Amino acid sequence: MRISLNEIKKLVRIPDGVTDEELIERIGSRLVEIEEVIELAPQYKGIYVVKVVNCEPIEGTHLSLCQIDAGEHTSEFSDTETVQVVCGAPNVHSGMLAVWITPGAIVPETYGNENFKLSVRKLRGFESYGMLAGADELNLDDEHKAIAEIDPRDARPGDNFAEVFELNDIILDVENKSLTHRPDCFGLIGFAREVAGILGVRFEELEWLCDYPKVEASALTVQIDDSALCPRYSAAVFELSDNQPSKFLTKEAVFLEKAGMRTIDPLVDLTNIVMLRTGQPLHAFDYDKLIAVGGVESPRIIVRAAQSGEQLQLLDGKTIECIPEDILITSNGVPVALAGAMGGKNTEIDASTKRVVLESATFSLYNLRKTQMAHGIFSEAITRFTKGQPAAMTMPVLLQAVSMLGVDPIAVVDEWKAEESQNVVKITTDALNRLLGSDYSTAEIVETLTNVGFTIGDYQKESSDSELVITAPGWRTDIHNAEDIIEEVGRLLGFDNIPLDLPRKPFSGAEVAPMWRLKQNLRGILSDRLGMHEVLTYSFVSKDLLEKVGQDPEDSYEIVNSISPDLQRFRQQIVPSILGKIRENLKAGYDKFSLYELNQVARKSTGLSVEQTPILETHLGVVMIGDFYELKASLLSMLKRGLKITIEYASMLGNTEAVECYPYLEPARSAVLTVEGKMIGAFGEVKRGVLLRFKIEKPVAAAELDLDQIVGLKPKLGKELKISKFPFVERDLTLKVVSDAAFGRFDEKIRGVLAGEELIYIVKPLSIYQAGPNEATKNISFHLRFSSRDKTLAQTDISDIMEKITVEVTKLGAEVI
Amino acid sequence: MSEVEKLKAELKALGKEYSKIKDLPPEERGEFGRKINQQKQTLLAKLATAEEAAESENIEPLDVSAPTAPNRPIPYPQLGTRHPLMVELDRVTAIYADMGFNVMESVQLDDEFHMFDSLNFVKEHPARDGYDTFRTREGFIPPAHTSTMQHRALKKYRHLLDHHGQIAVVIPGRVFRNEDADATHEHTFYQCEGVFVSKDATMGQLFGVLKRFFELYYGQELELKTQPGYFPFTEPSAEFLIEKPASLGGKGWLEMGGCGMIHPNVLKLAGIDPEIYHGFAWGGGIDRLAMLKYDLPDVRYFESGKLEFLEEF
Repeated sequence: MRISLNEIKKLVRIPDGVTDEELIERIGSRLVEIEEVIELAPQYKGIYVVKVVNCEPIEGTHLSLCQIDAGEHTSEFSDTETVQVVCGAPNVHSGMLAVWITPGAIVPETYGNENFKLSVRKLRGFESYGMLAGADELNLDDEHKAIAEIDPRDARPGDNFAEVFELNDIILDVENKSLTHRPDCFGLIGFAREVAGILGVRFEELEWLCDYPKVEASALTVQIDDSALCPRYSAAVFELSDNQPSKFLTKEAVFLEKAGMRTIDPLVDLTNIVMLRTGQPLHAFDYDKLIAVGGVESPRIIVRAAQSGEQLQLLDGKTIECIPEDILITSNGVPVALAGAMGGKNTEIDASTKRVVLESATFSLYNLRKTQMAHGIFSEAITRFTKGQPAAMTMPVLLQAVSMLGVDPIAVVDEWKAEESQNVVKITTDALNRLLGSDYSTAEIVETLTNVGFTIGDYQKESSDSELVITAPGWRTDIHNAEDIIEEVGRLLGFDNIPLDLPRKPFSGAEVAPMWRLKQNLRGILSDRLGMHEVLTYSFVSKDLLEKVGQDPEDSYEIVNSISPDLQRFRQQIVPSILGKIRENLKAGYDKFSLYELNQVARKSTGLSVEQTPILETHLGVVMIGDFYELKASLLSMLKRGLKITIEYASMLGNTEAVECYPYLEPARSAVLTVEGKMIGAFGEVKRGVLLRFKIEKPVAAAELDLDQIVGLKPKLGKELKISKFPFVERDLTLKVVSDAAFGRFDEKIRGVLAGEELIYIVKPLSIYQAGPNEATKNISFHLRFSSRDKTLAQTDISDIMEKITVEVTKLGAEVI
Repeated sequence: MSEVEKLKAELKALGKEYSKIKDLPPEERGEFGRKINQQKQTLLAKLATAEEAAESENIEPLDVSAPTAPNRPIPYPQLGTRHPLMVELDRVTAIYADMGFNVMESVQLDDEFHMFDSLNFVKEHPARDGYDTFRTREGFIPPAHTSTMQHRALKKYRHLLDHHGQIAVVIPGRVFRNEDADATHEHTFYQCEGVFVSKDATMGQLFGVLKRFFELYYGQELELKTQPGYFPFTEPSAEFLIEKPASLGGKGWLEMGGCGMIHPNVLKLAGIDPEIYHGFAWGGGIDRLAMLKYDLPDVRYFESGKLEFLEEF
C-alpha cells in the first residue's frame, strides 16, 4: 500500500521539531514495516505549468512549433516573452496550459533509471527548449496518449508543477502483511489516526465519520439473506449530471496515481478516492439497468450466497462461474455484482447513465477470501474487504461520498440487522506492565489510548490496580482482549522503550533431543573423520526421480501447489536425491568422493502418528563413488568406531522386503542392516540400469539408514580395550578354501577360538587371493595378534592355540597353508 | 681438516694421556683420571653434534614448493566437510542450550491444526495466506514456519512448569514456502523457533533474551530494535532487528525475525492457564545468518549439492 505523507500531514498535527525523517523512522518502528520511501519532489524539479501562446505546424512533419509562456521562468531561458519548444503531440494548441520540462531537468518517467536529462536541441532546423510532457512522461500514466493539459482553474503559467499537484510529497510503500488485522489502517484516515497515536498527539476525529444523520426508510429496498455474509448494506440513489472523463490532468488523477491507482471517470474516481481515504470500498450501479435486469419498478437489492455454477459477466468482460462461497448482489434475484470483488457488466456505469445506485457495504472476509482465490481477483477493494472492513463505517462513508459528489440523494437505505456490540476490554495498569515488563503510569496509558479514539470509563487516577474499562471505537474490529490493549499501548509508546531483562534460570540444564545429538555426532564421524561431504537436498522431488530409482510415486505425499514438476513429491528416502547430485560433481572434475545427508523422509505406507500427522523418519543417506567394500569399510567404521554400536548385516539376496524397499540397490552386491531382526537400512552397489538413468558412468555405492532405529541404542564403551600387561604374539595364517566359501565363517571361527581362550586379540584380514575367476579355490590370509590376560604365553601355549584354530577351520573345509 | 676429524684427533691425543697415569704418585692418580674422563666426555658430546651437523650438510634439500618428490605419488588428504547451514544451526542451538533452552527438532510434514489452528489463526482467515503454504493431496502441510511446533513444545514441556517454573525450548527445523527461488529466496530453508513460558515472563525478557543471543553469536555487544509485526499467535507482536555487527561491516540494521508474547489462546489450547502463565516466542531464519557470515551471493547454493561450494567450508 502506498501512503502519501502529505495526506497524513493534512490529518495530523505533527508536533514542532519532528522532521520527515524522524516521522518515517517512527512509523517504521511503531506502526508498519516500510518497504520503500519514495521521494517525489526530486523527480519533478525544473517542471512548470506553461501556456502555449502560439502553435504553428511545421510543414511536412507532424510537429508543431510552439511559443510558450512560462511566467517568471521564461526569462531564465529566453530573452523574449516566450520560449520556443517543438512538440509532436496532436493535441497541442494555442491557449492551452501544458506541462513543460525545462532543459536541464530529468524526464520523471526515466528518473532513477536512465535519468534522461533534457537539453536545447535542434529539430528540423528549429531550436527546441526541453519538452511539453505527456502524463506518461510525468510518470503519472502508463500509456502515451497526448501531452497533459492543465485546467486553467488549477494553475497559472510559471507555477511549479509539483506544487500545484502536491507532488512535493513522500510516498511510503508499506508492507500490507503487518496490518492484516487492521482494516482501519487501509484508509488514510485510519493510518493518520495511528500516526497521531505514535506521536503522542490526540487525533482530531472527522465529524462526519462519528456523527451522521439517521436515515428514513425510502423507495429503495435491500434484503440481506444471511447477515453473516453481509453484516451491513448501505446504498444511496442519486442523479448523475455529467460523468465525462476530464480532458485535463486533474488533481484527483494525481492523488489516485500517488496511491498506485488510475483515473477512470469522475464517479469511479470519487469512489476510489473515498476508499483510499476511509478504507471502505464503494460500488456504483446504473440505476435504470439495475431495475431493468430485475424486472422491477424500483430497486430491490437482494444479497445472497451464490449457487454453484451460477454465471455472471463481470466488468472486465470475463464470465465467471460462481462457487457456493461467493456472495452475489442481485437485482430482485438476478446477479448484478460479485460482492466485494467486481461489478457485473449488466449494470455498468456508462456515458448514458442518468441515475446511480451507490453501494457501501461490508461482507464476510472469509467468503471473500474464497472468492478472491477462486476467481483470481486482487483489486484494491477486495484487498480491503478481506481484512474485514468494520460495519460501522458503511453509512458515514456513503454519506460523505454523496456529499463530495454534491448531489442530493433521491433515496438512501441502510440495512443493518445485527448491530455490532462495542468491544469493551477491562485491564489494570499493573497487568499491562506485568506483561510488557514496563513501568507506564495509568495516565500515560489512558492518554495513549484516548489519542487514537478509545474511550475509558471512570477510573482511579492514582491506583495502578484499579480496572480500566476501555471501549474500542467502531472501526477497531481487532480489539477483543486485554492482550490487544497491551499491544496497542506497548506499540504506540514504543516497544523499544521497554527496559531489557532476562528470565531467571533454574539449574536444571538444557535437554537436547537425542536425534539432534546423534546427527551432530554423525557429522563429526562422517565429515571430520571419514572425509565425506555433507549435502542438503530438497525434501520435494519429482515423480521422475522416484521412477528412476524404482520407487512408487503413489507412496509419496504429493504437493498439490508445487512450484514445478521437479518439486511435486515428498521424498521417501535420501539416497535418490543424492544420486541426482552425482553426475554434476563428476562433470566438475571430482572423481572420488562421498556425499551424505541427514534429513527427514516420509512414505504414505508408513502411516500416521498418534497425532494423525505423517510419520517422519530421520534417515542417513550416503552415496560414494566406489564399490560395496569401500562403502562397507566406511559404514562399519562409522558404526563400530564412531557410534560404538554393533549392527547385524547380511546379503540382500533373497530378502524380498529389502529388495522392494531399496529397489535401486543390486541385491547380489548389497547387504541389509538389521537390529534385533528388524530391517533398519541397507547398503550396496547401485544397479547399473539406475546409474544409466542418472547418466553416471562410474560405479557407485549407496547406503540408506533409518536413524530412529539406532538413536536409542546404547554404545559399548571400554570393554574391548586391546591393551595387555603381557607381550603380544603375532602370527600370520593363510587358509586355502573353496572359491565360493564365505569369508565371514572363517573370520568368525578364528575369533571364536581366541575368545574361548580368554585372550585379548586382534584378527586383521590381510588379503583374499584368487588366481583367476574360474579357480576352484582361494587363499584367505589373516594377521593374528594376541596376548594372555594373566601371563606371558609360552611357546607351547602358542602352538596349542594355533593348533586349535587349525582344527576348527579344517572342520569348515579350509586347509591351513 | 673437518670439525669431525679435528675432534677425532683430539680424542686420540687424549687417549695417549692415559698412559701418563702410571708415572704419577698413587695419591694423584684418581684426580688425574677423573679430569681426563671429563675431557673425554666433553669431546665425545662435541663429536656427536659435529657428526650430526656434517650428516645434515650432506642431505639433498627438497623442493618445499612441490606437492611431492619426483616419482612419488602426490598425497591428497581426504578432508570432509560439514554443511555450512548445519554448522550454523548447531552453533545457534548450542548457544541457546548454554542459555538454558532445551532443543527439539521440527517436523517436515504437518497438519492444518499445528500449522494454523493451534496458533490462533481463525479458519479461512487471510492471515493464513501470508505464509505461502504448500499443501499435499492428502491434506497435510510441509510447514511454512517452525511455529508449527509451538503447540507440541508447550504440551511436551508443560509438566516442567511445576518442577522448574518455566518452559524454555528452541526448535530448529526445515521449512517450506511456495516462493519462486532466486538469489535471495529459497522455497526450502531453515528456521529456529524459541518458546519461553513462566509466571512472570515479560516482553522486556523477550527482548533481553534476543539481544543476549545475538551478542553471544556475534561476540560483541549490540543493539536490538523492533518494528511492528502481526502474527495471530502472539500478542503483542513485533519484528526484531539487530545492529549490524562489526564483523559484517557495521552500520545499519538487520531484520532477524518475528517475536511476541504468546497469545493466551495458544497457551490455553496447549493446556496452560493463561491467567497464571505468560510466555514469549520468536523465530528467525538460519540461511540468512550463514549468508551474512560468509557473504554468499546466492542462497540456492545451500541445496545445490555442489562440491565446489561445499569445499569452501
